[in-house]
Amino acid sequence: MKAHWTLKSGAALVLATLLAGSALAQQTSYKFGMAMPLTGGQATYGNDQVKAAQWAVEEINKKGGINGKPLEMIVMDTQADPQVGIQSVNRMISVDKVAVFVTAWSGVVKAVAPIANDNKVVELSVGANSPDISQLGDYVYTTFPLADVDIRAVAGYSAKEMGKKKAAVLFINNETGLGSATVYRDTFKKAGGEVVAYEAYDQKATDFTGPLLKIRAANPDIIHLQGLVAESPQVIAQARQLGITVPITSYSGIYNQKLIEQLGAAAENVIATSLAPGVEDSPLVKDYVDRWVKEVGRAPNGLPYTQYLYDTPALVAAVFTALDKKGIAPTGENFRKEMLAIKTFDLPLTGKVTFAEDHTVNKPVYLVEVKNGKWTKKAVVGQ
Amino acid sequence: MFDVAVVSQILWTSFATSSYFVLFAVAFALVLKVNKVFNFAQAGVMTCGFYAAYVAVRLLEWPGFAGLLAGIAGALLMSFILEYFGFAVLRQRKASPMFVFIFTLIVSQFISYAIMLVFGTWPTTIFASMFWPVTLVGGIAVSAWDVPAIAATLVVLIALWVFLRFTRYGQFMLAVADNADLAELYGIQKNKVLMISMLMAGVIVAIGMFLYGSRAQVQAAAATELMLFAVASTILGGIGNIWGAAVAAIILGIVQNSSILFIPSAWQGFLLYAFLFFAIVLFPRGFRLPERANKLKRTIRAPDALVTKQEG
Repeated sequence: MKAHWTLKSGAALVLATLLAGSALAQQTSYKFGMAMPLTGGQATYGNDQVKAAQWAVEEINKKGGINGKPLEMIVMDTQADPQVGIQSVNRMISVDKVAVFVTAWSGVVKAVAPIANDNKVVELSVGANSPDISQLGDYVYTTFPLADVDIRAVAGYSAKEMGKKKAAVLFINNETGLGSATVYRDTFKKAGGEVVAYEAYDQKATDFTGPLLKIRAANPDIIHLQGLVAESPQVIAQARQLGITVPITSYSGIYNQKLIEQLGAAAENVIATSLAPGVEDSPLVKDYVDRWVKEVGRAPNGLPYTQYLYDTPALVAAVFTALDKKGIAPTGENFRKEMLAIKTFDLPLTGKVTFAEDHTVNKPVYLVEVKNGKWTKKAVVGQ
Repeated sequence: MFDVAVVSQILWTSFATSSYFVLFAVAFALVLKVNKVFNFAQAGVMTCGFYAAYVAVRLLEWPGFAGLLAGIAGALLMSFILEYFGFAVLRQRKASPMFVFIFTLIVSQFISYAIMLVFGTWPTTIFASMFWPVTLVGGIAVSAWDVPAIAATLVVLIALWVFLRFTRYGQFMLAVADNADLAELYGIQKNKVLMISMLMAGVIVAIGMFLYGSRAQVQAAAATELMLFAVASTILGGIGNIWGAAVAAIILGIVQNSSILFIPSAWQGFLLYAFLFFAIVLFPRGFRLPERANKLKRTIRAPDALVTKQEG
């Protein structure tokens, strides 16, 4: 009886291997999904990010693709809306049969996570930074550092390297603002500093005189501003108008040339973070930005995010190449196993990324400061 | 915090920044009084006014004054389209006030999304720089934006008062506001008057958005949020009372900003709505004093045109 079962099992194994081998032999291309906002309010960013990924796919295919087979990117619109995201991802999995898909925007990433887990398809979150993304299930991973990484870096650097003793924290009164402000406050205190003012402002506020006067009265050495792109320049302008001259730190949201144009001299001593190397740090990034200017006529919206999107097809291609070499069928389950086995990927525009056990990644944080009307490199934290 | 300099600064900045809110509130109250419409589509007119000025100043590199005129032209065009193809048609079809109200909400969102498709979601300002130099006056920081903004608002308010009080069409507007059907019986062209009211509101909000957009960043959906303050001021000022809405806008701005002296700044938004909630419950007709209202009613003059017609 035992011998009979062994025979049966062996035959089944041979059959399965043959079928898998035959499926692999029929594998004419390797597909992955890209679910991003192509229309709606966030399309400005989504389209640029997809364009960056498309360039990367073209380059991978020019260099021979996945052992001679092309890498194919299936692009679907999410409008940055969870409901639309669910429809798009369902379609990519059921119709296009992708083993892995890329998406962004925290609401969408969270909404589609159960679909990825149920279907055993890998979801790569690239750009969303909500801390709970690391706890969305076995098949959900991020290639982008989550919210607290850059805030911890800038708080620690302010206290330890810049020698600031008294910090004020000014933040928008929403989940992200409050979460990041708490991280800054705790990190700054842990590093030996004192938080002398901790002020929130309303999400609909159009004037910031009140909280800024409270901060001025507390006489801090440094201010950390955790706001949105929309109001942060105005907050900084008003701070300078009220005679507050101390350095103001913030996060990657304010790292753009427009801030300097809008504030002029008032932007001096403003420090921002970036989670990807800039033009000054890498010749590849310089070439990439030059290509944007040449082909599109401008720099990409949200440069660091597009760098991450540019790098993602390289990561996907590396896993598919490994599977192809080993003759393993490119299912979601196999993709996940192989991705975790490789673990560390050296990517062209954002550097090394290592998948940690807790589904997070740690990356160096680049600090940039406005000096003489230009964003200049200040430090790299966590290199 | 109860330092004289701090209190003075808060009061001054609140007063200066209430300038655009006064204009938004006055425009909203004017249309509500004359056209009898809770015009949430005003947010769309505001958005068109801002982006027309933005295109003129930032993209076409016209000077600021030309940008203001472009903003007014943009808002006028949108107001005309709204009245001619929207409200006039709905009036003709005898649409219910609720239906008209919903129409204004839809128009507001439609314009917001259309603008978003054209200009994207990245917030922007009318001028490349949004930093205004500051002069210290007795310890108070007075920015180069403050005084012109207050002056512009005063000019608009005086012009509106003069128009309503001393011009034929101003008086026609008051007559239509009082009783549109009766005014029509006396030969006033109601549709023309309602169009003028909408166009005037368009000019007022365009100036308001020019002031706002030269100090803060604007994105396509921003006007909807600014509108809430105008609606609150109109309700507090007493529905149908244009000047009451203006005063309420100033008071609301000062109350909201001064609240920082007593409560955490995160509560400022909550305070606005708490204030509004109790004001509506306790003063459902606004803060208008009955005696003053009666006095105004007694002194109001019949439009000259009507008197002439009756005499004839």
